[in-house]
Amino acid sequence: MSAIRLILKSLLYYWKTNLAVLLGVVAGSTVIGGALIVGDSVRESLSQITLKRLGKVDFALSSPRFFREELAGEIAASPQFTNDYSSVAPGLSLSAALQFTSNETKETRRANQVGLWGLDQRLWSMIGPDDIPAPVGREIILSQQTAEALQVKSGDEISLFVELPATIPRGSILGERKETSQELTFNVSHILSGQSSADRFQLNPSQKLTLNAYVSLEELQVYLDLAAIRRSPKYPEGMPAKINSLFVAAKGTNSHQLESATTSNNILNQQVKDSLTLDDLQLKLRTIEDHSYVTLESHQMILDATTESAASKAANSLDCQASPVLVYLANELGNNSSPENYSMYSVIAGLDRATLNYPPFGPPPMRSGEWPVKMNDDQIVLNSWLADNLKIEVGDKINVKWHVVGSHGELPEVEHSFEVTGIVNLNGPIDDLGLTPKLPGITDVDTYDEWDQPFEMDLGRLTEADERYWEGGVDPDDPTQMTKAYRATPKAFVSLNTAQKLWHSRYGNLTSYRFAPGDSAGELTKFEGQVADAFLEAYDPVSAGISFRPVQALGLQASQGTTDFSALFIAFSFFLIISAMLLIGLLFRLGIEQRLSEIGLLHSIGWSDKMVKRHIVVESLVVILIGAVLGAYASINYAEAMMTALTTRWVGAIGTSELSIALKPGSLMIGAAISIVVASGAVLWSLRQFKSQSYRSMLNGIFREETQHKIVTRTRSYAWGAGGTAVALLILTTLGIIPDAEAFAGLSVKVVMFFIVGMLGLACSLLTMSVWISRDKELAIQGVGIAALANLAVRNASRNRSRSVLTTGLISSATFVIVAVAAGQKNPTAEGPELDSGNGGFQLVAESSQPILPNLNSVSGRDEALEFINQPEMKESPEIVAILEKTNIFAFRRQPGEDASCLNPYQTTLPTVLGATKKMRERGGFTFSGVSDDHPWTLLDQELPPDEDGLAVYPVFGDLNTLQYSLHKGIGDRIPVPNAENPKAWLQIVGAFTGSIFQGVLVASEEDFLDLFPEREGYEWFLIGGPSENVQELTRADAMLLSNYLETGLNQFGFDSNRVADRLDAFLKVQNTYLKTFQTLGGLGLLLGTIGLGTVMLRNVIERGGELSLLRAVGFRNGAVTQLVLLENVFLLSWGLISGSAAALFSMSPHLLSVGANVPWLSLIYLLLGVFCAGMISALAAVIQAVTTPVLTTLRSDS
Amino acid sequence: MSNLSVQNLTKTFSTATGHLEILNGVGLEMSKGDSVSVTGPSGCGKSTLLYILGLLDSPTSGSYELLGENVSELSKDRQADIRNKEIGFIFQEHHLLPQCTVLENVLIPTIPASLDPQDKKERAENLLNKVGLHERLNHRPGQLSGGERQRVAVCRSLINAPALLLADEPTGSLDPSTADGVGNLLLELASEQETMLLCVTHSVELADRFSRRLDLQNGTLVDVSNS
Repeated sequence: MSAIRLILKSLLYYWKTNLAVLLGVVAGSTVIGGALIVGDSVRESLSQITLKRLGKVDFALSSPRFFREELAGEIAASPQFTNDYSSVAPGLSLSAALQFTSNETKETRRANQVGLWGLDQRLWSMIGPDDIPAPVGREIILSQQTAEALQVKSGDEISLFVELPATIPRGSILGERKETSQELTFNVSHILSGQSSADRFQLNPSQKLTLNAYVSLEELQVYLDLAAIRRSPKYPEGMPAKINSLFVAAKGTNSHQLESATTSNNILNQQVKDSLTLDDLQLKLRTIEDHSYVTLESHQMILDATTESAASKAANSLDCQASPVLVYLANELGNNSSPENYSMYSVIAGLDRATLNYPPFGPPPMRSGEWPVKMNDDQIVLNSWLADNLKIEVGDKINVKWHVVGSHGELPEVEHSFEVTGIVNLNGPIDDLGLTPKLPGITDVDTYDEWDQPFEMDLGRLTEADERYWEGGVDPDDPTQMTKAYRATPKAFVSLNTAQKLWHSRYGNLTSYRFAPGDSAGELTKFEGQVADAFLEAYDPVSAGISFRPVQALGLQASQGTTDFSALFIAFSFFLIISAMLLIGLLFRLGIEQRLSEIGLLHSIGWSDKMVKRHIVVESLVVILIGAVLGAYASINYAEAMMTALTTRWVGAIGTSELSIALKPGSLMIGAAISIVVASGAVLWSLRQFKSQSYRSMLNGIFREETQHKIVTRTRSYAWGAGGTAVALLILTTLGIIPDAEAFAGLSVKVVMFFIVGMLGLACSLLTMSVWISRDKELAIQGVGIAALANLAVRNASRNRSRSVLTTGLISSATFVIVAVAAGQKNPTAEGPELDSGNGGFQLVAESSQPILPNLNSVSGRDEALEFINQPEMKESPEIVAILEKTNIFAFRRQPGEDASCLNPYQTTLPTVLGATKKMRERGGFTFSGVSDDHPWTLLDQELPPDEDGLAVYPVFGDLNTLQYSLHKGIGDRIPVPNAENPKAWLQIVGAFTGSIFQGVLVASEEDFLDLFPEREGYEWFLIGGPSENVQELTRADAMLLSNYLETGLNQFGFDSNRVADRLDAFLKVQNTYLKTFQTLGGLGLLLGTIGLGTVMLRNVIERGGELSLLRAVGFRNGAVTQLVLLENVFLLSWGLISGSAAALFSMSPHLLSVGANVPWLSLIYLLLGVFCAGMISALAAVIQAVTTPVLTTLRSDS
Repeated sequence: MSNLSVQNLTKTFSTATGHLEILNGVGLEMSKGDSVSVTGPSGCGKSTLLYILGLLDSPTSGSYELLGENVSELSKDRQADIRNKEIGFIFQEHHLLPQCTVLENVLIPTIPASLDPQDKKERAENLLNKVGLHERLNHRPGQLSGGERQRVAVCRSLINAPALLLADEPTGSLDPSTADGVGNLLLELASEQETMLLCVTHSVELADRFSRRLDLQNGTLVDVSNS
């Protein structure tokens, strides 16, 4: 005989108990392993979707600028490219609004924010299906989602509204603001099947099929004036074809690994830098031969910060003279003391006086006064022509009027008065038209009448002198002489600092940068080449946004997911696991109790405590190991069931049905290992309870609990403590003595207090039960019939008090959590607009495919933006007019980024950023977490100190869910912009919205937004509601009418509005799906708990076999014995279910009393009834045992 | 020289109503080959004394030396070692492991002891042969009568040749005829192995067959051998 043999014999002999424990382990292992497999499967499925989404595209460059299409060929021609990459494709990546009007029904259907891709065979071969050729001519290929949205078929003609590329930024004085959109018509040639990469192609990670449309690159270039123009007399410089995106496919799969992909990406970026020309950067160098210098100008009429920095570095490296210039167009220059002396439409130059000391930039030929090195902001120097015409002398004042560009494209005029410090002769370096950048349509036209400017001019106020300055003409002082046509030559000069203060633009601070060769520089043409080379060498395309990103590797990294679904499902299965473990502990304990005398015997024959413990542990470990292995196998089936649910009933959790099982041996082993550890813990926990048992009582097979009276006294004091604390907290909270501030994570103190009171109530209930069943003052047998049986049943429950309380506690706590979770569900569609709520008091949220400049709150703005070509009656509708009068539209600027809402399961790094206007910040609204300020929105106005590297830090708000689950950030954390590899600035979280419409985005102030993203024009995100003082004034019906009105009128912008409540509901669907999952798995745990209860009942009946037989011997019928057993079960089960439910409902009462509460009462009641029935069924084994055991045998063996 | 010496042994229990003194200055001396019976009314503390002597319980005060060693103050592991090597137990209930055969049940005390397996087996078979169960070696306890089970328990208690054999109502659950047989067997085997035998019993017939008969009265042992 050996210990191992004894273990094996015991395992077999006590097979029923061991099987029960084994099944518990199998359940635990199945759930844990299944959760890990679900996590692996979700991650793997998201990776597969990423590979499908991007097709063969490994690297992508998507720039806000348009650059030469030839760049693609130049990159492909490099030797390194041939080695590591397989192909490169040019493309146009735009956002469009699509519209289709059915010939049959005349119904118009729209699809907004559609990804419009201009491509040729090169890109199509990377993402398109093989059996469909790339679009040519006016063909358009639609993704399945787009086709479904428009309900079109092949052959239908559809309209596209797409933003026209603006050479000059729309937010600058010379930018085009009227014609911003172009309508194009295409014929649907193919509709994709939903299976190809083209169906989901986009650069940001997403699991969803996307709204995409594909057209010929060449055709789109023609439509958008981006096609190549040959040099001709009309276009002497010609223009190469332009694109804004490049896509590269790599050889092999190294590009899937982030480290190697980053290296490859850097190589591509270097190739881009090597191939870039000034034209790619919309820059040009102009030789000003009259003055022997070269000037760097931009087609955008402004040099951005990156260009300015590179120009400065180039000047340093060439060691040449340089002079930065900022010119601005003044509407009017007038003599302050005699307003009748004025000049219209003049250019003023801001110059750095220190750069004007030597030819060719200086020295300035002063006629009178001086040009101080340090001019203050109120000082100005005039050229002699202006001084003479305005009759101004040194010391006089001059009024200058100019336009500024408002945020909605309006052009208010501002005026400033300067003191004239000097008058400079209009000759030499001052007679320099090169100071003003060349602007076709303005600087190259002969008369003011020919100006092609995007704003209205008051030509009636032009003086003859003005016209003569521009055009030249007969000199009035000497009619025999002709005057020079100075055109846009600056008439006045301020310091560069003053100019940048007055005419600062978010796009940049200079209009040109002049370079003059030193004496040894040789000819000017050669110098121009040197400047170009030095400039391009110094230019950093990455900081200008012209850089590749390893999209495939980043996408695969993002597929690791925002949410660890393994952890999530383990959390969801919490009660299932706990129930399994408690069941293991309970069954194990019952098994040990059954063998107590055996253990006592082993002690008596000299087995030490350690030996006995080791013997028991090893025996149970064998059971656990077998259970874990079986559980690992069963976990595959469990995971399959979970994945099926995730693609059907719980599809809202991940948002895709394209999930498949991914089995990783590691996860199966980890799952088994965890369950072994946890089950062993349960066994050891149970064993601890036998530590205090004497050998003698064990030998006699008696498990002795602590002395009853001690327990009752102690438990009663605990019950009073829990109950008293609950009542005290309730009173303090209700009376407002505990202030109702935010506790944590957006939860108010009141909500938290109610939850604590509920939990204390539950504890009090269980403790009371423990005391009550142990009471001995009352007679157990009272009444007659079923009442007497019920009393006896309750007394029976006290026979093994800890077992009874443990099982009731398990059932009640599981019930508490399940009911509380169910009661926490919300339905925002039932909520009305409230300023301080998740909807912020708004009825509608809208987005546009293209930026909208006009102010939609003003009649003039709406007149400008809204078009009602097909429904003119809509514009004049009195109903709409009345609604508009009480409507507030808050427009936000938008920098598109990743969708960081809970609707996107991918890990995100930089979500969409919104710029909130001052008006919006002043209005306020929404609820915040982690913010103590009474006016949280003012936090966006604060100026944060730069980081240690001098990078700017901007305050932003985010939604709490977005921050916690998608970005994994908290208040005070920073997010790099545009990415962590090359941060240009930081966004610092200063506040978190709770349950808001801002889920998935970050919100900055408009001013900070424009600093961060100066190239973003207009407004693309809108919140629409009633007046701030009475947000309910705009009703739901009003909002629906308004939505239709705006969507129709702003069709060309791809305006798409939704009810805020619906959007919130979509966000909450994910949360509610999680709750539903938790409820279901928690319910399973609860069912397992009832099996535990059934086991306890069975054990009780076995232990009380003699008593029950005695009852039958003295005349109790089987029915009465059955009732006795079932009543005890009903008592414990009901106590658990009722106390758990009541405590949970009380805990959640603040939420239940709110408008948006949406408790699934029916499913909850079904669940609890199901648990009750399962509990009763599980007690049947005990009943059968009680009524089938032979009376005589039991009585004899008990005697 | 005594092989077992108990001096002033007391045992007190705490109850809801106060302290209950069960043993009050018990003294006992035993030498090799002694057989002692202890009688007394139910609840007088006979079994408590037995369990203290068997190191399954501890005294409240007093000393207990076994084979010259103060065993009541040893560590639990050392006590277990002494229980295994020097003490054999027989209970009113046989406490046979139902999952094991007769032979295996006898061999269970040998598991902690590092003995040669063959020697152990031979010794067990010899013992079972002596008690007339040589043909039931592979039977399970459930297949034996009450007397047979108790005989197996006797063999189990003697398998490690203990110096002290403790029996707690060994015949209490047996019919008179079987009880007589088991009593005889117990005395014979103890005598044969020169084991000290201490038996707690209600049976005066059995008690009188021991070399000494002690009665536990008011918590102390009174020698009633000659009364």
